[in-house]
Amino acid sequence: MNKESRLKATINQRLTELGERERLKELLRAKLTECGWKDQMKAHCKEVIREKGLEHVTVEDLVVEITPKGRALVPDSVKKELLQRIRAFLAQHAA
Amino acid sequence: MKMEDMPLSGPDNTKLEALVNDIYSELVEDACLGLCFEVHRAVKQGYFFLDETDQESMKEFEIVDQPGVDIFGQVYNQWKNKECECPNCKRLIAASRFAPHLEKCLGMGRNSSRIANRRLASNNNMSKSESDQEDNDDLNDNDWSYGAEKRGEHRKSQTSPRRSKTLKHKNEFSPFQYNYNAGINYEMLGPDEVQSFLTTVSSFHGRKKSFQSQRCPQHTDEQRMAVRVFLLGPSAPVLPEADSVAVPESFDIPDGQALMSRLQWEDSPEISPSDSASSKASEEKSGSPFPIKRRTDKEPVSVSLTGTNHSDSRSLSTKKKKPKLTAPSISSIYDDLN
Repeated sequence: MNKESRLKATINQRLTELGERERLKELLRAKLTECGWKDQMKAHCKEVIREKGLEHVTVEDLVVEITPKGRALVPDSVKKELLQRIRAFLAQHAA
Repeated sequence: MKMEDMPLSGPDNTKLEALVNDIYSELVEDACLGLCFEVHRAVKQGYFFLDETDQESMKEFEIVDQPGVDIFGQVYNQWKNKECECPNCKRLIAASRFAPHLEKCLGMGRNSSRIANRRLASNNNMSKSESDQEDNDDLNDNDWSYGAEKRGEHRKSQTSPRRSKTLKHKNEFSPFQYNYNAGINYEMLGPDEVQSFLTTVSSFHGRKKSFQSQRCPQHTDEQRMAVRVFLLGPSAPVLPEADSVAVPESFDIPDGQALMSRLQWEDSPEISPSDSASSKASEEKSGSPFPIKRRTDKEPVSVSLTGTNHSDSRSLSTKKKKPKLTAPSISSIYDDLN
C-alpha cells in the first residue's frame, strides 16, 4: 500500500510539474464543450435551480446534484481518449 | 528521481490501470466542479437565465432540426430550380444563372466588353484570311492593339462553339461593341506591351514627348513674362524655350522661400514677424492691389510654373475678387517693382 501511495504521489507530482495535468484539463474541457456535455449539464443545473429556488441555491447543492450525473454523462469517446493519454504519459515517465 | 520499475504483469497492471482511472476521475471531477462554480456565480450575479425570454418567443425562435430546412425553418434552395424569362432574348434561364446572363445579354457588365472585344478580335483574325479590305483598315488604324492579333489566335482555339456564331455577324457592328473597339484594347495587351505602354505614358508626364509645348494655351508669352517679373523681381530669368524637354522636378526657383511667402495672400494665418512689422506701416499704401497686372489682364492670372502647387494659382485668382489686401508681404513686392 505504501508503495502504491508513493507511486501515486510521484506520478501526480510528475503530472503537475511537466504541465501535463493542465494540458489534460484543458483537453477534457474542450472535448466536453464540443460534444455538448456542458450544455446538457447546464440544462440540468437550470432544473435544479428552479427546484431549489434561485435565491437559495448554494454551491454545495449544485455539486451534489451535478457531479454524479456529470461523471455518468461523459461520452465514451472522450473517456477513452483521456485514458489513452494518461496511459501514454505513464508509460513515458513512469516505467 | 528515478522511479521504481513497474512490471506490467498481473496485479501490477491492474494497479496501473487503477491509477490511470484515478487520474481520470480526478480530471472529470475537476471539470464538474468548474462547471458548478461557473453556474453558481452566474446565478448569484443574475445572468444565468438571461438567454430565456417569454414562452412565446422561445417557441417562435426555437432551433429547427429537420432535413431540407435550415435552423430557422426556412427552405434554403427554394429558388434554385425556378426559371426566369430574360426580357432581352426571351429565353428561360435558371435563377442562379440569371444575373450573369443578363450582364452578357444586355452588354452591361464588367466582362461583357471584354468578351465583345475578344469576339471582334477573333472575327478580325478569321476574316483576314478572306482579305476583306475594310476589316484590315480597321485593324491597321488601331495602332495600339498589336497584341490583339496574337491574343486573338490564342483565344480562338479556346473559345466555346457558341463564339463561332459571331462570325455570321462580323459585318454588323452593334453600337456598343464598336465603341469598345475604337481605341486601345487594354485587355488584349500582353505583359510586354503593357509595360512599354506604361513607360510611354509615364514619359508623357515626365518629359512631355508627345506634346509640342508645355505652355498652356490660355496665356501669351507676354503675360508669362509679366507674371515672372512680378513674382521673381525684375531680375527674372528668361522663359525657357517652348520645345525644350524640361523636367518639372528640376525647376529652380531663385528664391523659393520668398516666392512662397509672396504667393500666400489672404489665407495665410502664419505671418512671419519681419513681415508683420512692415505691413502695419504700409497697409494704406495699397490702393488698387495690382497696379501693373490688373489693368492689362482681363483673364485670371494663373501662374504657369510647373513646379508650384495649385493653391497658389487659386489664391492669385481670388485676388481679383477681393481687392482688400491683408497680406503683409505685398509691401516688399511693391518695393521691388518700384
